[in-house]
Amino acid sequence: MQINEFMTTKVESIDADRSVYDAVEIMVDQHLRSLAVKGTGKSGKTSIDGVVTARDIVFKVLAKGINPRNVKVSEIASRPIVCIEQQRDVEDAAALMEKSNIARLFVCDEGKVIGVISLLDIMAAELITRARGSHDS
Amino acid sequence: MILERILQFGKKEREVTEDMRRHIQLLCDACNTFKTAMEKQDRNLMREVIDLERQGDSVRRDVISHIYEGAFLPYLRPDLCKFVEVVDEVFDLLKDTASCYLDTDLPEPLRNDCVRVALLNFRMCEMLLITFEAMLEGRDLREKTLAIRIYEKKIDDMKFDIFSQAQEVGVTDFWSGKMLSDLISGLTSISDMIEDASDHLQILNLSTR
Repeated sequence: MQINEFMTTKVESIDADRSVYDAVEIMVDQHLRSLAVKGTGKSGKTSIDGVVTARDIVFKVLAKGINPRNVKVSEIASRPIVCIEQQRDVEDAAALMEKSNIARLFVCDEGKVIGVISLLDIMAAELITRARGSHDS
Repeated sequence: MILERILQFGKKEREVTEDMRRHIQLLCDACNTFKTAMEKQDRNLMREVIDLERQGDSVRRDVISHIYEGAFLPYLRPDLCKFVEVVDEVFDLLKDTASCYLDTDLPEPLRNDCVRVALLNFRMCEMLLITFEAMLEGRDLREKTLAIRIYEKKIDDMKFDIFSQAQEVGVTDFWSGKMLSDLISGLTSISDMIEDASDHLQILNLSTR
């Protein structure tokens, strides 16, 4: 089964120069575990080039008693993002997540982020694969 | 399984179940044609969806006639007819949505998500056929109906986003806006009806135990 059937196309993001506090607000409000980070590349174009997760925020900022308003998202974001093509199989996504020890992968098309696939999406794909049984195409 | 015995005995019953399978298979073909037409932006192919709906209508009439000519025990007939009617409603909605597509220029920012919904609708249809066949074989439908619900949830999650994106697209007049809204609404409601059809299969399965 291909990733494009299970990915989520809505990718929530935050600008790299916003504060960690802003990221916390968005993540808590929308029940998100991570945010894509939009930065400006050498060409001057804005694109997703990093990710900030709940783990990054809690372990790198909050647990250390640092004021999240004084830290920019870009300072704690993980880079580069780990991408996979939408035509690849869900099994490939699971293997890449395990190898990279991450819970979400960005789905990219010609270098542009078009979606995200999470561990939960992979579990949903597994249920559907089982339900299809021998009818899988 | 009682249902397995009921459905396997008799020429009339076999004719009905074969027609019902054909009906769902036609729906799968229509959904697949819709998806391909949207992907390739092929309006002629989209018109084939309307032809497939007509064929589906004819199969529905055959099924209902055969049922009331004496196939199956009387207590099963209303549920079987109801299922066929729900599948027919999916056909109707798909045809209406195809007509909307023919009258609309789908804005580029919405295209990928709309094609994806069309693909998921097709997958749901395939799963409905698998569920129907599993029911005929007297197998448990739980994991099949769960798969249908997973697909439906995915489409439901996308619906709000597509409408949000649509609000940012400029429309020239009221009617072009209405057609675009009807197109998105139809496209994202097909899954609800397929889920209804799958619920009816589950009811049919349970009512014969």
